[in-house]
Amino acid sequence: MSRIERPKVRALSLAVGLVLLAAGCGGYSDSGGSGAPPGAAPADDGTVRLGILGECEGPFGGFHEDVVAGATFAMVEHAGATVKSRTSALDGFTGAQVAGTPIELVGIGCGDDTADRILQEVRRLVEQLGANVIIGPLSGDEGIAVAEYAKSNPDLTVFAGLAGSQEATLQVQAPNFFRFYGDGAIWNAGLGDIQYNKEGWRTVAVIADDYSFGHTSTAGFIADFCAVGGQVTHRVFPPLGTTDYSSYIAQLPDPDEVDGYFWAVGGTGTQASLEAFVDAKGNLTGAQHTGNFFFNPNLAQALGTGIAGAYVGGFAALPADVRTPQIDEYLASADATWESLAGALSSNQPAPPSVTAAFGFFYGYYSAGVALAQGLTAVDGSIADRAAFHAAISDLTLDLPYGDVRLDENRSGIVDVGISRLTVNDTGEVVQQTVAIVPGVDQTFGGTFGPDTPSPSRDFPRCERRDLPWTGKAIPVVGGAPQR
Amino acid sequence: MSARALLTRGNLAFALLMVVLFVIPTVASTFFINFVMTQTMILGMAAATIVFLAKYGGMTSLAQLLLFGVAGFMFGNAALEVGARGLNLGWGPWAAITFAIAVTTAVAFVLGAVAARTTGIYFLMLTLVYAVIGNFVFAQIVDISGPSGITSVPRPAFVGSPLSLYYVGVVLSAIVYLGFRVVGRTAFGLALQGVRDDPVRMASLGFNVPLHRTLAFTLAGFVAGLSGLLNVWWNGQIDPASISIGPTLILLIIAVIGGVSYFEGAWLGAFVYVLIFTYLRDLPLVDQIGITEARFNTVIGIIVLLIMVLSPEGAAGIAERIRRRLGGRTRTASSTSTSGPRSTDPDEKESEVHDDEPNRATEGAGAVPGSGSGALGGGLRGL
Repeated sequence: MSRIERPKVRALSLAVGLVLLAAGCGGYSDSGGSGAPPGAAPADDGTVRLGILGECEGPFGGFHEDVVAGATFAMVEHAGATVKSRTSALDGFTGAQVAGTPIELVGIGCGDDTADRILQEVRRLVEQLGANVIIGPLSGDEGIAVAEYAKSNPDLTVFAGLAGSQEATLQVQAPNFFRFYGDGAIWNAGLGDIQYNKEGWRTVAVIADDYSFGHTSTAGFIADFCAVGGQVTHRVFPPLGTTDYSSYIAQLPDPDEVDGYFWAVGGTGTQASLEAFVDAKGNLTGAQHTGNFFFNPNLAQALGTGIAGAYVGGFAALPADVRTPQIDEYLASADATWESLAGALSSNQPAPPSVTAAFGFFYGYYSAGVALAQGLTAVDGSIADRAAFHAAISDLTLDLPYGDVRLDENRSGIVDVGISRLTVNDTGEVVQQTVAIVPGVDQTFGGTFGPDTPSPSRDFPRCERRDLPWTGKAIPVVGGAPQR
Repeated sequence: MSARALLTRGNLAFALLMVVLFVIPTVASTFFINFVMTQTMILGMAAATIVFLAKYGGMTSLAQLLLFGVAGFMFGNAALEVGARGLNLGWGPWAAITFAIAVTTAVAFVLGAVAARTTGIYFLMLTLVYAVIGNFVFAQIVDISGPSGITSVPRPAFVGSPLSLYYVGVVLSAIVYLGFRVVGRTAFGLALQGVRDDPVRMASLGFNVPLHRTLAFTLAGFVAGLSGLLNVWWNGQIDPASISIGPTLILLIIAVIGGVSYFEGAWLGAFVYVLIFTYLRDLPLVDQIGITEARFNTVIGIIVLLIMVLSPEGAAGIAERIRRRLGGRTRTASSTSTSGPRSTDPDEKESEVHDDEPNRATEGAGAVPGSGSGALGGGLRGL
């Protein structure tokens, strides 16, 4: 080394030493692991500053209008808000107030289905724009990340929007993170029972997206099917974003080797995976296939009516054929609030708002907004005592259009789940017809899942017979009317 | 070296910048420090590794974010005692840091050894393959991550507060910046630049060309690992999406925005990127012309295009261009083509080797790549 570099190298060595000295030899910080600065939430001035976390990019980018509209509609119905635009919820609202406490929309976050991005968005809403209440996020991994963030920001209040990961509530257990809807496993409760007892399935092979929601959705079906005595012979998990499913279909048993198949492959993979099955193993039949809510009438347009007869798991809202006076009133009110909405079901083209409002994405965020309004009512509009506010929210039972929702001890929804079936109507079209409502489903599945169990994964839960609280208690639905 | 020799414009500017970076938390908002500046330090360090490889080694690497991620994943696996995923080794912070950096550096060495025999577009493609494979490795192997990644990653106590994390980022960034500059003047660095400019001649002189490239890649991996640690502490979680193709390209874009010929460009590019990401949507009337959050990548793309057209040397090169226009001291930045910069003008080589320190010419080594003498005598001889 020449003389020239020595001083600089010495300076560098000194600097490194200083860093290490400054670092000390401590353990870990107790401020949580979300990267959030403790106490990031701004000082309380009595106003609810609301941030909504949606997704305007990524696989759920098309649902951005849906979810923001859902939260906005709750403010319109339960806080007296006025929408700024009659054709889009993204322009926000004004005049929301509950028990004298104004609710101000400070911003709308733009996620892309990744945890990193949603953390950036929630930090921007909370730390820059001063949000003290968040509604959202939309998807599973985002939910875990935001729950962790909430845990390290106790003055923040988060109402999950539609994130379906079990872990966000069952494992993270942030006291200020509330989910007034089911998780991905809950939405398949009752499906296994129907397949075993009504369709005579004894063995099943499952195929699902290899990420938290795919695992969770599958876990619900497995827990339900095995609880009544069924056996799972194969579990296949293609990576998210797979385009050629042939090698994964090859891992599944042939139709004569198993009674049925459960599918939880979403997005563009739904059709691609089913087509790969047709190519490799023969036509799809409704009698031998079932799936979560990704299984919908649109499949029939691409795959033919052979899929008719298949049972489909539930979602945040009940299928559109279920109509009660409360649901009719809810949909009519949505139509009165906007002239049109460009939601995902209408391919982001203007359509009657009730089309969007009847769909789970809108409804999950709507439920969260109603919980905010009723939580404020329960504390007379005072959010100064956050612990009291959170306790009041935990004790809420929401009387919602598609069924009452209350929370379990982990602040996750105990809900009614609608199981439907793909059927051919009089005009020859495949439609979704609700066949049963499974009441009071909670995320523990009778002890299958808990804070100390692993999160749903490729090999969890194991297939075990178990007494589930709702087994055999499904409420039949005839012609869209629950036979309670 | 005399004190007078230290009083160069560059050194004074650097010292002033450091003072500003240390003082700015007293005047700027908490969010600006915790979010914008801390992210700038993290991404700047990672982008600086791209600059280092391109500037001194003629290697444009797309594997730096992978190595950044390896450190984060390894720290999470080592630090967490209980978790839904990962090894949950439950080690103390320093053991976890050492483990993370050691694994990252070892991975960088192995990947570098394989890639060292390729150049230009083949090197670029190979490192892109590394990035893709790395993404799938962490997505598929549930023992170390799985698709949902590692969450609830704890921060060591010494970065427990956001401000301390920022200051650690500033100090490490300064060390990395100066360190890379110093490496460029060592025997190894000079030999590496010789390998960049004429590997055949260097090999004929007895230098082990692949080993130089491998060690450069390893050093860059080590630094990327440091920035990866800061990132996992800042974010509290890491998952395979954190190191997917999108973020991988973003890191390269940051280096391009700042200027791949300038180390300071790495942090400047990161600062510009984070500023645009954070504040663009808040500009008045900007949504009226269709620039919403959903158009962020479009805006970044336009900025990259403008930079490439108006200032191929990046934002950091703009000042240099202005200075040249005004007839100041000339300085030729290395070309950033994937085939690596190739200087033919001895003056250019001199300026590259001496890296904008005018006093350097009076002090010494004077050796230029390819001479096979002077400082190069200490290079790594092939066996």
